[in-house]
Amino acid sequence: MKVKHLSKKIHRNYILEDINFHVEPGSITGVVGRNGAGKTTLLRTMAGILIPSRGDVSIDGRSIFQHPEMKAATAFVPDSSEALKNFSTDEIKRLYQSLYPRFDPSYFDRLMDRFGLEKRKKIGHYSKGMKALFGLITAFSTNASYILLDEPTDGLDVIVKKQVMQLLIEEASESNVSIILSSHRLDELEMMANDIILLRHGRVESHYELDKLKERYKKLQVVFEETMPAALEASVHILDQTGRVYTILVPESDPAVIEQIHNSGPLLYEELAMTLEDYFVARLGGDTYDA
Amino acid sequence: MMHKGLLQQNWKQIKLVVWILLVIFVLHMPLQAALSIETWNERVEQAEQSEEYVYEVQAWEVQQIFSEGLFSFFAAFTIAFLAAVLIGLERNTRRNDFTFSLPFSRKQLFLSKWLLGSGTIALFFLINFFPAYWIISQSEFSYALTTVTWIEIFWGPLFGYVFFFTFCLFVGTMTGEMISQMILSFILAFLPQIMLILIQELMRVHDLLYYLVSSHPRWVDYLTPFYYAIGELGEIAGLLLSILFTAAALFGGIVLYEHNKLEYNGEFLIFKSLTVPFLVMITVIISLFGGLVVSSLAPWGADALRIISYWIGFCTFLLFAVLILKRITAMNVKFSGKAI
Repeated sequence: MKVKHLSKKIHRNYILEDINFHVEPGSITGVVGRNGAGKTTLLRTMAGILIPSRGDVSIDGRSIFQHPEMKAATAFVPDSSEALKNFSTDEIKRLYQSLYPRFDPSYFDRLMDRFGLEKRKKIGHYSKGMKALFGLITAFSTNASYILLDEPTDGLDVIVKKQVMQLLIEEASESNVSIILSSHRLDELEMMANDIILLRHGRVESHYELDKLKERYKKLQVVFEETMPAALEASVHILDQTGRVYTILVPESDPAVIEQIHNSGPLLYEELAMTLEDYFVARLGGDTYDA
Repeated sequence: MMHKGLLQQNWKQIKLVVWILLVIFVLHMPLQAALSIETWNERVEQAEQSEEYVYEVQAWEVQQIFSEGLFSFFAAFTIAFLAAVLIGLERNTRRNDFTFSLPFSRKQLFLSKWLLGSGTIALFFLINFFPAYWIISQSEFSYALTTVTWIEIFWGPLFGYVFFFTFCLFVGTMTGEMISQMILSFILAFLPQIMLILIQELMRVHDLLYYLVSSHPRWVDYLTPFYYAIGELGEIAGLLLSILFTAAALFGGIVLYEHNKLEYNGEFLIFKSLTVPFLVMITVIISLFGGLVVSSLAPWGADALRIISYWIGFCTFLLFAVLILKRITAMNVKFSGKAI
């Protein structure tokens, strides 16, 4: 799946601007960004729901807008399952069977059994967690190559969340399905995603493989005798400061900064494990995530 | 075009409205036919008691059963609601995202809605028309069927209903949600008649070229979509125009649906470029209506006073229209929405 020069203008504002990336088979791509960065708009455009102002989304070289039948290779799971809440589980099974040529009813049944989801006359009667699981089960049963998930774990309890994440990882590794998901839960993405696309003001701020991304920075805890030297402050990202104790990110590519820290004679110098959240805060600024 | 899955999905949405429509058609035709025969029998008996009076069923009484009357109004309202559920309600909810993410072109999505809706209307019309026709033909009043033509009672209403449904669906391709679809469907469905009345009143009050529009031209009826649904145009010209207008509304609906900007779902109109023309049109209609209402309060003989009261009404309603429409255009009606 290729996203080429994708732009989307809503109410005279560009929500997405010149987005470019491609999705590898069997990968899990996390789309992150602050509220209003354009994550849902990007996923809705990739699902063919919104028409881009410019650019294209293609699968196997064919545009999903010019060849809508290509959307059989994608399944979009929104953050709410309200769309089909009046359908029974059997009706949805029949509906998907008819809408998606590669829908596998026996796989659907197996997944329903595995997650202990009972048949209901209306899926609106399922709990929030059950609806989330049901959405994923139907999506994976379509045998689509690309599954687009908008905030799949939003508002779920820890048990269901774990089940959802387990299912996503299994499907990506065993069925070679590509999963593109937006999430605010960076810790969860860190456990699942191979690729991270960071959106900022509708543009791709960065797109890295998660492992490489972590190699870009070193996270340090440093204690100075007084405050951090002013010259040093300009070269590092301060994640947190409590008195003389600083938690900072230092670009790996700049050994001079590390040397500068050592030269300033810190009382404590300790390397910490780098997380996606650290990177996120460093790139987008601020201690809190929500805008 | 008529994909089973799309049919299944749309059917689930409209099931309730469809049953309401069926009940209306049953009441409209077979039941009304049976009851009318009883009424006609009663009138015959009453006529027999009077030596000078012979009762004969009139054409308009037959038309009431098949194409006109109160039930045709109910059917027209239900048909407009059916179109609003198929397009407008989908926009108010997350169902639209599901539908548009499916591997079908927008043309296929629109045509499946149209085929399901118009097919259901035609089917219900047929299964109710023939029993009603049979009931009358088997009665002693079978002669009454010779007072009307097939265009008046069959082809006219059948194509009239289908056209009105297509028209409401077409309006739905321009509006952002269900309420605005219903409001605009009825405003546009009556627009030629509304404009005729309002312009006539404006000219009459000002004594301005009134002779030009003082009559009720037939072509205004032909341009009024609602008239096709209530059996007002049961003639060959009306039938041909209903087919022509159905084709035009269907084609226009497909084109607009293909270009729909779903990001504006929940707002008054889907196409922002249409906002100004629509607002101007509605504001003018409301203002002219205000002039008509207030001028009617002035004495008939007092020409100057009528003109002054006309413009007081015009300006007052203009102010209200601007304030109300400002709010309407800023609305975003989504039952389960999310911004970006």
